[in-house]
Amino acid sequence: MLFNSLGFLYGFLPIAYLVFWRLSGKTSRYVWLAISGYVFYSFWDYRFCALMLFSTGVSYLAGLGLLRWQDPARRRLCVVVPIVTDLALLGFFKYANFVVANINGVSSWSGGRAALPVLDIVLPIGISFYTFHTITYMIDAYRRDITPTTNFFKFAAYVSLFSQLVAGPIVRFRQIQEDFENIDRADRTAGWDKGWSFFVIGMLEKVLIADTIAAVIDPALARYAQLSTVGAWLCVVGFAYQVYFDFAGYSDMAVGLGYMFGLRLPQNFNSPYKATDIADMWRRWHISLSSFFRDYVYIPLGGSRGSGLLTARNLMITMVLVGLWHGASWTYVVFGAYQGLLLILNRMIRGVWGRLPLWTRRLGTFGLWVIGCAIFRASGVGMAGTLLGKMFTWHPGATIVGEGTLLAMLVLSAALTHWTLNTFELRHRWSPAWVTGFAVAFGFCLIALYGSRPAPYIYFQF
Amino acid sequence: METAKTHRSIWRLGHIFPHRTQPLRWQLGTVIPSLLATVALVGILVRFMPIDPFTFRAWEALTRDRPPGMAFAPNHRYYNARASGDLAAFGNLPSLRQYRPEQFTTDAFGFRNPPSLLTEEVSAILAGDSFAVGSGISDDETLSSQLRALTGCIVYNAGSEVGHIMPDDIVNVAHRLKMRGRLVIRIVAELAPPAANPSPLASRVRALEARMPAGIRGLAGRLKGLIDVSPLQIVSTRAWKALEDDRILPNKYAARVVKATLANGDVMLFQAREDRADHQRGISLDYWRWLRDDLQRAQLDLLVVLAPSKYRVYRPFVVDPRPVRREPDDSWVQFAADLRAAGVSVLDLTPFLSVEVARSLEHGEYLYWLDDVHWNAHGVAVAAAVIQDRWRVPASSCGLPALRQGGSLRGPGPQQ
Repeated sequence: MLFNSLGFLYGFLPIAYLVFWRLSGKTSRYVWLAISGYVFYSFWDYRFCALMLFSTGVSYLAGLGLLRWQDPARRRLCVVVPIVTDLALLGFFKYANFVVANINGVSSWSGGRAALPVLDIVLPIGISFYTFHTITYMIDAYRRDITPTTNFFKFAAYVSLFSQLVAGPIVRFRQIQEDFENIDRADRTAGWDKGWSFFVIGMLEKVLIADTIAAVIDPALARYAQLSTVGAWLCVVGFAYQVYFDFAGYSDMAVGLGYMFGLRLPQNFNSPYKATDIADMWRRWHISLSSFFRDYVYIPLGGSRGSGLLTARNLMITMVLVGLWHGASWTYVVFGAYQGLLLILNRMIRGVWGRLPLWTRRLGTFGLWVIGCAIFRASGVGMAGTLLGKMFTWHPGATIVGEGTLLAMLVLSAALTHWTLNTFELRHRWSPAWVTGFAVAFGFCLIALYGSRPAPYIYFQF
Repeated sequence: METAKTHRSIWRLGHIFPHRTQPLRWQLGTVIPSLLATVALVGILVRFMPIDPFTFRAWEALTRDRPPGMAFAPNHRYYNARASGDLAAFGNLPSLRQYRPEQFTTDAFGFRNPPSLLTEEVSAILAGDSFAVGSGISDDETLSSQLRALTGCIVYNAGSEVGHIMPDDIVNVAHRLKMRGRLVIRIVAELAPPAANPSPLASRVRALEARMPAGIRGLAGRLKGLIDVSPLQIVSTRAWKALEDDRILPNKYAARVVKATLANGDVMLFQAREDRADHQRGISLDYWRWLRDDLQRAQLDLLVVLAPSKYRVYRPFVVDPRPVRREPDDSWVQFAADLRAAGVSVLDLTPFLSVEVARSLEHGEYLYWLDDVHWNAHGVAVAAAVIQDRWRVPASSCGLPALRQGGSLRGPGPQQ
């Protein structure tokens, strides 16, 4: 089920909301949130609810073990076994066929005749997100940053919280623990207006901006070999804005829904296109993911504590893993390696870079990000190469259909991302004129939702 | 004073919104849920409006409230002065619409006939899908009307959607009519899904539907129509499609149809992939034997009439995109041969229509709509003439005997 669907707006949300606030007890609200999460998830594929329940159960038991046992060996066992189990499930569903395809490719290239069978696997939606939820819970419990909960329903509600279930943000238990603890004392009115404000802005970002850009660039990129240089740049810059508004829109809607249920979810995007260097970009972009990799991969690897070479190695490993997290494809590996390389270069030239004018640094950072977007958007390394080739060597050609609309959207997107406040910087107290404007724009969203199938979010596939 | 009080109470929406004791505030937390509720309410209310103004042709209007087991909503008269073709709608190509008036009248049984026909003596029953019904043409242009005009015999149009054509249906129709003749003309359109015997479950459902009292059936059809079809959705889709005009936004529907240029320069629409379809469909003869035998038991004769696809007859005249090379023979031709071998009377319209297409194209005339998969009045007239030739019967004795014996029908193609 999508937030930008009529079924969600008219069915799921009102029922989930009204029942939640009708209940008064802590556990009853946990149970209801957990049930809501599983119902929400089952609209995609009910069979995979069992997988999420299994992952939840394993992590919950690990938490109980960490609560009970103090000796290091047992504690280590309590964290290693469930994490390996979770990662094995993630690896199987997400990466098994990628590994098989590459083994077969190498075998074929070296003249071998053995071919492993490609498995018929459906990637469970959101598995990357809820797996990371449970991993952060277990590691934080192991590190004694949090006290594991003994209430299974509380933990199940955390893992399956519908607003963050399928595309994040990757909320850590400690970030939401306080609100969960006080869930029976939550004030229904406190987050209502603010919640709707976040939700409406997120909906506008997704439906009116991201989906409109996608409507123009997707058909053009489907015939990428025929793109001109101008067309290739327009499409890739368009994708850079599309992916931002698509995911930031989702995150804003998730935060808004959280407020409606008395839960404060953390910020996931902090005006990333205002970043002044690539490290700054990753501090602002998909914050919950980048901070996960920083805290649970990069720093444990040694972070920047060692030599420059070791730091470069750590950065590269971390960013390749970030790339791979997005999907089982060489384009994501290349994307991660490219980002790793940029971060290493950033460390090397940050003195010189820091002396450049602000607008140059912002423009440069955005330009480097756009190049990464060409790799990220490509369906294969070949397409990435072709797109980059077209961007950096002159290719005349026809204009793309809907170019005027795309240009208008790019101007609007640039204004919103480079020069205005982000949703967490807004006060969310709107004058009647603004409210009317939002209502009109939301009305257009409803026309779009009634008139065409809701478009899924890009990050659902990860 | 009273008005002000009432006004205030209306705007106190504390039972829905969290601000229990506050009057409505102009904040997103009240305005957006109110907007959602209003749109939902409007969406529900417009479902009770007649659907006709929201449709581009009769088919959608008359199938919405169709009672279970019926072809169309009974006793309905639809008129649209600017009806247009299905392909132009599927491909979102308003510039290629061929506007025409369309009148579509149904009788008490839900079939496309003038209501007065139920009191007259019927010589033949016409069964089949949209080609038999006459999608895109007016009442006086349908195959049944044109056969009546040619032969003087009354032909009852029992055309319906594919899947609704079961022997029992035809026999039941025959029992309810004053049958003078005993011919059943079954039109088979090339692009229609292959007819098949119904599953046991489907048969039980159909039997149950048939036993339902008319009032309950009508109510069930109405309820289903109210749930399934949303005028608000239709209007929103149209608004959105208007933006997807290949200027403001790319037309994502365009790939559903093929825009082809004919030798005379006119643009004709075809279903996408029709030019590449190999028509190797799993056609089962079981259904046709079953249909023939069941009809024979009810003393009805079956004539299967094969209506070729638009692409089959216009393919030789398409210059752009260049037609895909294909072996001349395929399962459509084989189908006709198999039916004959199984002892089913068959009349393949392909050679007759092909010859007439070539002739009429020289005069800028067409047998099929440019913007529709279906044949137009001219194409129906050709088909009616061919059927009349096969069903040669004096008007004074409409229906006795039914078919000329095969082998003597002259035509430009292979002998039938």
